Amino acid sequence: MTDDKDVLRDVWFGRIPTCFTLYQDEITEREAEPYYLLLPRISYLTLVTDKVKKHFQKVMRQEEVSEIWFEYEGTPLKWHYPIGLLFDLHASNTALPWSITVHFKNFPEKDLLHCHSKDVIEAHFMACIKEADALKHKSQVINEMQKKDHKQLWMGLQNDKFEQFWAINRKLMEYPPEDNGFRYIPFRIYQATTERPFIQKLFRPIASGGQLHTLGDLLKDVCPSAVTPEGDLRFFMHCTRCNVFPQNLSLRQRTSEESQKGRRN
Amino acid sequence: MLEGTSGDHPVQPQPRQGHLEQMTQGRVQIPSSMAGEEDFFLEEKRFKQHCEEFVKHSQQIGDGWEWRTNKDLGDGYLSKTHFQVRNRHIAQDLREKTSDNIEETLLAHVEESLDDSQVAGVCTTEEVIRYEYHVLYSSSYQVPVLYFRACFLDGRPLTLEEIWGSVHACYQDRLQEGPWDTITQQEHPILGQPFFVLHPCRTNEFISTVLTGPWKHNRHKNYIILWLSTVGPVVGLSVPLSYAKVAPEQNSSTDSAESNENLC
Repeated sequence: MTDDKDVLRDVWFGRIPTCFTLYQDEITEREAEPYYLLLPRISYLTLVTDKVKKHFQKVMRQEEVSEIWFEYEGTPLKWHYPIGLLFDLHASNTALPWSITVHFKNFPEKDLLHCHSKDVIEAHFMACIKEADALKHKSQVINEMQKKDHKQLWMGLQNDKFEQFWAINRKLMEYPPEDNGFRYIPFRIYQATTERPFIQKLFRPIASGGQLHTLGDLLKDVCPSAVTPEGDLRFFMHCTRCNVFPQNLSLRQRTSEESQKGRRN
Repeated sequence: MLEGTSGDHPVQPQPRQGHLEQMTQGRVQIPSSMAGEEDFFLEEKRFKQHCEEFVKHSQQIGDGWEWRTNKDLGDGYLSKTHFQVRNRHIAQDLREKTSDNIEETLLAHVEESLDDSQVAGVCTTEEVIRYEYHVLYSSSYQVPVLYFRACFLDGRPLTLEEIWGSVHACYQDRLQEGPWDTITQQEHPILGQPFFVLHPCRTNEFISTVLTGPWKHNRHKNYIILWLSTVGPVVGLSVPLSYAKVAPEQNSSTDSAESNENLC
């Protein structure tokens, strides 16, 4: 795990330069200047945009402001997806900075989850952690932790504290030596082109012969359309919980990124 | 570890007793005579079989459930839509209150004796609400999960607060203390739209308290009926008693191929 520390830090500190512009039909008392921000890839839009909200609310009347939501080229952005995933999914081929439009009206009920407070983000984040541990350890590690440990994970994310986060998360990334790996690999495959939001299946890190499964094995098994017969990736795909690496590297080496969010190599 | 799909049971090197104690630490006590925790998990194949049985009975009694398949991956879910007319007796002065305390305020008014002036102040509004319930399979927790959403006829969706308010008062206490956890809004994993979800991570706990003896002795029972009749009413979904009549599967080894023939 320690030899991966550089990679862990790179993933944690990944940033996307973003330009926030107020939607033209919002009613303002004076002109709204765009707001620039470096967004952490591993965090969530509604967690890191308090300053954006304040900036635009300054030029608006209170009655014109209801729940904030974000959109990119007409597509409402799902705040519950990690920011890096949203960028890779929707805007990875465009020039930086990433241009996001800010709305305060007409919340798209059919597309977006509500986010009335930070508690909602925390609950979502913890639910993801718990589900991942259900796959890795049958929930044993997460359930044996105290409430304050769960809180520390969340605070680490919220306050961008790498060491604080990983002090707890490393326990979620360990397994007993006799086991040789997690029970199942927590992963989701997102594709911009499908109606189905993601592919998630049970997948073991070790094959029956004892050899380690690779990312290529996973893709062939779960999303065969992504891989050509020669074994090359047909198009750019991002596993949300690990980096995209050469396919022959084992998944176990990549499991240190399991709690991190997706990032393009 | 054995490789395989969710239907396999990996070899457990450690003694079952210790494993079980660890699992039930501080929570529901499962008698040591019961087998290990694997026995309460529902494999995906069995989930589909039980759903099929469930739909068959639903068709017989006109209960409105159907199975929907996702063409990309071949998995699917149970679905039911129904309309509910809700009569809300609202006293004039209560219209300003939030739906959080409306239930207790209503109950308080019922207990007081109403004089003529108070009776005159009560009006009845009728609301038609469209409820949509989906039962999906969680491969992470290996249990079924209940998703639902509700909206008024004009398309306005109900808020979480309104959902809670519509649950009958007798379930409120159980909800607050009960082991089936909270209802939150989540993205539907197949449709990608916002739904409310009853959290699945404690399902195995209360399923084990409902069954007498380990699951392997109850395999002839329909897990979906058992589970849905317990969690459904919490969110306004009733499962008619007639489902209790659903005949047990003919074979005790329920991995038989013939059960799969009618999977849509």
